[in-house]
Amino acid sequence: MGAAAVMAPALPGSAAAPFRLGLTPVFLDNDALVIERLRRALVGALEMPVELEQRRTYKEVTEMLLEGALDAAWLCGYPYLQHEDELSVVAVPLWNGKPLYRSYLIVGNNDDALDLSDLRGGIHAFSDPDSNSGFLVTASDLAKMGLRPDDFFGRTIFTYGHRNVVRAVAAGLVRSGSVDGYVWEALARMEPTLTNGTRVIRRSEWLGFPPVCAHRDRVANPEVQKFSRAVLDFDRTSDGRAALNLLQLDGMTPAYPSLYDGIRRRMRIYAALR
Amino acid sequence: MGWWRNFSLSLRVSLMVAMLMIAVAVIASQLVLSALDRQQVARIRELARLHVEALSVALGPFVLRKDVWEVYDTLERAAGASEGRRTVFSAVADRNGRVLAATDPRRAPVDSPISRLANGAQLPGKLQVGNREHNVKLLAPLVYQGRKVGQILTELDISDLVSERREARRLLLLGNAIATGFLVFLGYLATRRMLTPVSRLVSRMRETEGAPRPIPRDEVPEGDGEMARLVNTYNEMVRAIASKADTERRLAERERFVSLGRLSSSLAHEINNPLGGLLNATDTIRKYADRPDVVRQSADLISRGLRHLRDVAKATLDTNRYERTDTPLSPEDFEDLKLLIGPETRLNAQRLTWAVEMDRQDQPALPAAPVRQIVLNLLLNATAAAGKEGRVGLWVATGPESLVIEVSDSGPGLSDSARVRLLESGPVPSNGGVGLRLVRELVTGLHGAITTERRQGMTVIRVTLPVAVRDAAAGESGEC
Repeated sequence: MGAAAVMAPALPGSAAAPFRLGLTPVFLDNDALVIERLRRALVGALEMPVELEQRRTYKEVTEMLLEGALDAAWLCGYPYLQHEDELSVVAVPLWNGKPLYRSYLIVGNNDDALDLSDLRGGIHAFSDPDSNSGFLVTASDLAKMGLRPDDFFGRTIFTYGHRNVVRAVAAGLVRSGSVDGYVWEALARMEPTLTNGTRVIRRSEWLGFPPVCAHRDRVANPEVQKFSRAVLDFDRTSDGRAALNLLQLDGMTPAYPSLYDGIRRRMRIYAALR
Repeated sequence: MGWWRNFSLSLRVSLMVAMLMIAVAVIASQLVLSALDRQQVARIRELARLHVEALSVALGPFVLRKDVWEVYDTLERAAGASEGRRTVFSAVADRNGRVLAATDPRRAPVDSPISRLANGAQLPGKLQVGNREHNVKLLAPLVYQGRKVGQILTELDISDLVSERREARRLLLLGNAIATGFLVFLGYLATRRMLTPVSRLVSRMRETEGAPRPIPRDEVPEGDGEMARLVNTYNEMVRAIASKADTERRLAERERFVSLGRLSSSLAHEINNPLGGLLNATDTIRKYADRPDVVRQSADLISRGLRHLRDVAKATLDTNRYERTDTPLSPEDFEDLKLLIGPETRLNAQRLTWAVEMDRQDQPALPAAPVRQIVLNLLLNATAAAGKEGRVGLWVATGPESLVIEVSDSGPGLSDSARVRLLESGPVPSNGGVGLRLVRELVTGLHGAITTERRQGMTVIRVTLPVAVRDAAAGESGEC
């Protein structure tokens, strides 16, 4: 969870300082190859050292970004919206040609549950309390029923990684899990033995894909601007394409205003119960 | 154990040495194996202790926070990283014994009681490992920052250590068996070599028929060891036996002459008495030569007298001829004996009872010479024992399988020394003659038996001689 590329520590924005990009475990955590490809693509585009910072929780990365310890971060729509007034979307990944993804509710492949209501009293794995697909979607679905996760499930755990949610469900540690649909599909192609142990029983509506954000105060900085152009042009550079291929993404696109309305709606539902 | 006694001494000693060596080898192997076992159990205990301690360090904070995922993730990574996949299964429970996570969550679901899985679990420090066990189950407290925050149940795969122990055991036993076998073989050879003089001695003694033979000087072991002394003692014993036999033989011979001497004096009377009558008859013939009736009468008298003398001479001759052993026993032999003993009894004014129940049809197949010697010696002994005007008797009967001879006298009974000579094979007492010992040796030679008893004031010596009845009639008809 430390720096993926070891560089001399320096203050962000200074001439000799590297560009620091924060990563949440939104995709395949601990995948050294993905991180290296991404770093290489950025170094090539930015023509400056790049440091990729990983933290265990969304909260830690978000706070680092808010505190100015990072120049940009790949967050999730939910923490972005929580700090919408301080953060700005730099780019949104395109998955299957769209900046959209879904949340999956999964169970063990031998489980006979058909829907969320069948999972009452079981143990449920969330990814992160600040994850849209790994927490908010299921929590808001339960909120619609007037229930909090802890009231509905017998026990809930946080695995701080979508892949970990799949592992926990496949191993039988928990009965069900809330997972990023993009991650589950990517794993189904890369580690089918893992996803074969699970079954998707519910898919959410299409929601805004986790965005790459920067602090509003710094979004006009030349490094951030350069970074923004670089990631938006990933599909046009070989290093960028290589990184995108590993991430099973098609490219990056600017966000449009209503992209995160779905998540915003769910936040309201969940907040209403709280 | 009868079969064991049938083995020769050298074989028995060799086998015992071999068994002793095997026993020592077994005990030594057992000691080494138990030391090996202890060493390996200590190693497995140390392994278990380190395993539990490492897990405790890694899991402590997560268990304290009851972080199910982190406990599971740590257990999984620990199991995956463990040397040779030693961890088969691990489960961690909180302080209340409720499972937080396990490497196989289906076997140990979250929140289930860990006690359900703890059956057969041992404490790492007191771990015992069986020879056939492939896994060991441990249950240990999870101590973090000096306090118990939960429990760890773990199953370790120790099949490699167990098979290593089995292999070491196999090699040790094989090595010991080979070494023991070799030593047993050497021990067998050495023992056999050491006991060769004994074997030779036994063989000599076994070969001995009649008189034992000494072991030649070149076969006597060198030095002054037990074996040399044993062989020398044996040789001395053989010489002593030969000397004793020689003495007894000479004594028996003397006894024969003593008997003969006694007979001779009786026979002198037996011959002397008719001689007077015969001389008278010759004087009568000379005096009345012209009277044929007197001459004829005197000639008849002379003839009867001479016949009697001839019979006496023949009986004496037959009795003292040892070489006539092939002549079978017949009723005439007893008539001869009666003739021989008659003068002795008459001299002592004794009453002789004579009953020989033997006819020509069922004569026993026994040699005449030794039987005559036996009966004559017993009768002489009886006449001596009965004393003046005593009673002496002979009763002979032929049974289906034996000839029974009973010689009785009205004497006071057999003295102890006479009993020893007649009934026992021990040394002949110095006092008294050896006539009765001669009887015993002759009876033994004919595979017979001697018993004595007192019956109605009489001492009865009963000799039973086994016979094969000779069918005289069949023999005669065969000649026709």
